[in-house]
Amino acid sequence: MAILKDIAAIAKGMSITFGEMFKPTQVENYPDGPGPFKGAKFQERFRGAHVLQRDENGLEKCVACFLCAAACPSNCIYIEAAENTEEHRVSGAERYAKVYDIDYNRCIFCGYCVEACPTDAITHGHGFELASFNASNLVYRKEQMLAPQPAHLGANSIFNQAEVEGGTPSLPAQGA
Amino acid sequence: MKFSEEFEKRFADMLTHYPTKRSCLVPTLLYAQDEAGYLSDEVIAELAGRLELTELDVRNVISYYSMLTTKPRGQYNVQVCTNIACMLRGGEELLEHCKKKLGIGHKGTTPDGQFSLEEVECIGACSWAPAVQVNYDFHENLTVEKMDKVLAGYQEKK
Amino acid sequence: MADVNITVDGKAVKTPAGTLLIEACKSVGIEVPSFCYYPNLSLQGACRMCLVKVEKMPKLQTACTTVVAEGMIVTTDSDEIRQARKGMVELLLGNHPLDCPVCDAGGECELQDMTFSYGAAESKYIEPKNHREEQQWSPVVFFDRPRCILCYRCVRVCNEGMDVAALGVQNRGVSSIIAPNNEDHLECEECGMCIDICPVGALTSGSYRYKTRPWEMNHVGTVCTHCGDGCKTTLGVRRADTGMEIVRGDNRDKSGINNDFLCIKGRYAFDFANHQDRLTQPLIRKNGQLTPATWEEAFELIGKKFSAIREKDGGQAIGVIGSNHTTNEENYLLQKFARVVLGSNNIDHHRTADFPAFAAALRGRANATASMRDVYNAPAVLLIGNDPTEKHPLLAWQIRSNVRLHRSRLYVVNSQPIKLRRQAAGFQLIPAGAEGAFAAFLAGEDAALASLGGSKDGWTALRDKLKTEENLVIVFGSELREGDITALVKFGSAVPGAKFLALADYANSRGAADMGLYPDLLPGYLPVAEAGKFHQEWGGIPSAPGLSLPEMAESAKAGKLKALYVVGANPIARFGIDPFVFSKSFVVVQDMFLTETAVIADVVLPAANAYEKSGSVTNTSGDLQLVKKAGEVTGTKGDFEMIVRIADAMGFDVRQLVPFGRGTRADMGQTRGAQSGEADRHAVWLEANGLELKMSPFDPMAILDEIQRLVPGYNISRLALLSGNDQQTNFAASGPAVAQKPELIVPAADGLFRSGTLGRYSHTLHSVMENKDRQPSEEVAAD
Repeated sequence: MAILKDIAAIAKGMSITFGEMFKPTQVENYPDGPGPFKGAKFQERFRGAHVLQRDENGLEKCVACFLCAAACPSNCIYIEAAENTEEHRVSGAERYAKVYDIDYNRCIFCGYCVEACPTDAITHGHGFELASFNASNLVYRKEQMLAPQPAHLGANSIFNQAEVEGGTPSLPAQGA
Repeated sequence: MKFSEEFEKRFADMLTHYPTKRSCLVPTLLYAQDEAGYLSDEVIAELAGRLELTELDVRNVISYYSMLTTKPRGQYNVQVCTNIACMLRGGEELLEHCKKKLGIGHKGTTPDGQFSLEEVECIGACSWAPAVQVNYDFHENLTVEKMDKVLAGYQEKK
Repeated sequence: MADVNITVDGKAVKTPAGTLLIEACKSVGIEVPSFCYYPNLSLQGACRMCLVKVEKMPKLQTACTTVVAEGMIVTTDSDEIRQARKGMVELLLGNHPLDCPVCDAGGECELQDMTFSYGAAESKYIEPKNHREEQQWSPVVFFDRPRCILCYRCVRVCNEGMDVAALGVQNRGVSSIIAPNNEDHLECEECGMCIDICPVGALTSGSYRYKTRPWEMNHVGTVCTHCGDGCKTTLGVRRADTGMEIVRGDNRDKSGINNDFLCIKGRYAFDFANHQDRLTQPLIRKNGQLTPATWEEAFELIGKKFSAIREKDGGQAIGVIGSNHTTNEENYLLQKFARVVLGSNNIDHHRTADFPAFAAALRGRANATASMRDVYNAPAVLLIGNDPTEKHPLLAWQIRSNVRLHRSRLYVVNSQPIKLRRQAAGFQLIPAGAEGAFAAFLAGEDAALASLGGSKDGWTALRDKLKTEENLVIVFGSELREGDITALVKFGSAVPGAKFLALADYANSRGAADMGLYPDLLPGYLPVAEAGKFHQEWGGIPSAPGLSLPEMAESAKAGKLKALYVVGANPIARFGIDPFVFSKSFVVVQDMFLTETAVIADVVLPAANAYEKSGSVTNTSGDLQLVKKAGEVTGTKGDFEMIVRIADAMGFDVRQLVPFGRGTRADMGQTRGAQSGEADRHAVWLEANGLELKMSPFDPMAILDEIQRLVPGYNISRLALLSGNDQQTNFAASGPAVAQKPELIVPAADGLFRSGTLGRYSHTLHSVMENKDRQPSEEVAAD
């Protein structure tokens, strides 16, 4: 009887195993999946690497007001402001960020900068592959965080080449 | 810059009326405007020098008063009041009529330089509304027809 | 005036009659908000923000125009008042653009603060805002019309404060607009007072525009390095690739002797520090060319050469020229270095006033020198010579404010119809060069009248009038020298409470003189022959007077002067010396730029300027103030450090030169701290020389100890100095001095828009159009 009991137990166990084998997988196919995230999926609210947004004309939204730097609890944002000129227009307002660095050695992804931003220029993207062997690589420059030009204005980004070519509005750049 | 003898006499007299020269500014500007038609840069510079003010000071005062102007006006400046008493009695219709008749708008001048038109605030003739002031003359209890006569009168005068 | 008792928010307040309600509230710590009210300007009553409830008055009253009355019961905060203020803010915001993120005033905007306090965040207006393009009125003044809230502060400060009247109000009602005096641009003194006083971002500064935000900068209170008035200026600095960059100058906190006043030089002309021609590495002449070298190489070479010349030809073969811009500590150290290390009295500087004669005349008289504060408070001021509006903007401001606010009487005696005559109760035009004759006449020499012109009665009446003025402040320019000063002081002794003020041209001209940059005078105007306590303290120093600046050139021409050490000066250009006279001498120059003197040098050391070091300076009226390090340019060193390093390279024990780490007093301010944080940066050199890290020979405070101990008149309160207050030094105990040759005094050719070498390298000073109007036919160089 004991043997029968054992067999039943094994059969019961294996039935779950075999049953699961034919159900759709719950595991994310990272890093072999498709897309910029290599198969990783995120909640919309996930706070990953920052993205500096552009407006509909392709100009940077950031006006270098320094409010994100002021709100930042870990003091990881460094900005240098400069004035737009007729010939060299970078942002929609009078001023733009000549230098915009975020030090990911210090950033705690709290999202205060996003909340502080009066122009919705800085947002959290879903980029998460930030690890580096060299700490100085973790200081991201503006060019690394800037969203690509909208597709209809031509792309200047290496990130979403496929989407740009496909004519679909590009997603924000993700991580590094 | 040369003013008439009469102006000079008035100006000299006025200087004795006030403790500071600055106080003569507004009447002097009015006299000068009557004489020169408008307050040109030349007039402003001259008066600023005489009253020991900066040109900016003089311009500040001119810009404050609507009866002072730095641009040439027509020979007859038709000022139509549209404040409440005149408006209720047809001031706005009067203004519209003048605009059509003279073919110019607010602060405009006819091509021949005879008439200027201006919509003004209360000119203190509410009891006889609607009222129009042409240069220093008042015309009261006007209607569209009466207005035509007034304008025709000035046209004849030339 | 009698005191008045009022009650504010239940608090009993006692205040002098005639006080404005808003000031009375402030005196007990109750802040009444306002835009248009500004202390010491005329009343406007334009903004209606300061509305308060005064009992028995039917409506709310403006606190800024209401004078206190006995028994007044005032409420400054209630629902009614808050509602009224909220309404005012909402009206102001009706057409005010909400571009705070871009606006330069963001973060220090009074309208922002007020909106925050009274919360008129929601607007009932749905109409689109009336936008106007921003206008540039001058290289340093921008005007953004929609941001203007028409408080008229700028107009009033320009009219009343500056007596320039370049701003006006045009039109009326809602279409009122602030207008510049020349249609679309300003022609004025470009002081920038209107920008600082603007409560919002309507007037913004051309140099600070869109660069950073107020909370992103470090704010360092230091002293302006341009003219001799010694205005306190708060420099905003931020990190840059080459160290710390100065981006803004102002004095909004109203600290220091100048309240909130600054002229164009103090407010904008700090940009020479970051000029592209700034030297950032030592240069050594190799094969006839100045070539970059290391600091060690340079110091070694200088040390070797100086030692060799001193051994072979003696100290008299070496000449030293000091600066009018370096700190007291550096000047003191330089002359000590010359006398003790080089063994030479050949030390001089570019003199711009006869301070030795002034000191000798006031010897033994306590409280006889006027400070800048005295000029603001004195009941009467006599000004002989000089044009303060051009050369001493702060002095002119103090005089104007004094006349305007205290009804002080100003007497001007000048050879030119200077602008200050407009404030004068009496103005006398005299022939050029007759200032001395006027001083002699004041002292009772009626014969001097011959050269004054005018009627005898008029002059006598002026003299009699002046004699009746109590606490008269007598201000005189460098036209008066030697005996003229003695005569003037003689006259002053007949006037009760009279004080004197001698005008010199550069930031530390007075300090250079006080610190003994003279061939025949030690610090405190002690003749070199009577070294006394300096002899004890320093050991042997030469007792024969050395060579003055022109004599050094002569000596070099004769081949006797083998070496010349120039610190922050440009004698070649300033005195028109033929540069070839120094071709056989070994010339060392410490400067910021390759000046006419630096180009002939054998070694050029890149120096830090007064904004990049710590120490103290004495302004022309003898007010001692602390200089703090604000900016930094990588590759430069302070003159103090360089002098010590050269002494060290000559094999001299620097402990003998800088008394660091000695006694208990020496400890004050020498440990790591805000004022003397230099030690850390020099840790390597210090360690290599076996010196205590926290007690550095590069610490100017150690020399200040010695100055306080040895220089008469400088024994001031160190605590007051370190906390940022000015301290009046005096001549009462100074040495008897010796007569100087008056022709050695060469006034600077500076004006409101010129400032010697510093001005030559300032883009801002060159950019304003008024500078071009006033530029003399040939560029005058100076140190």
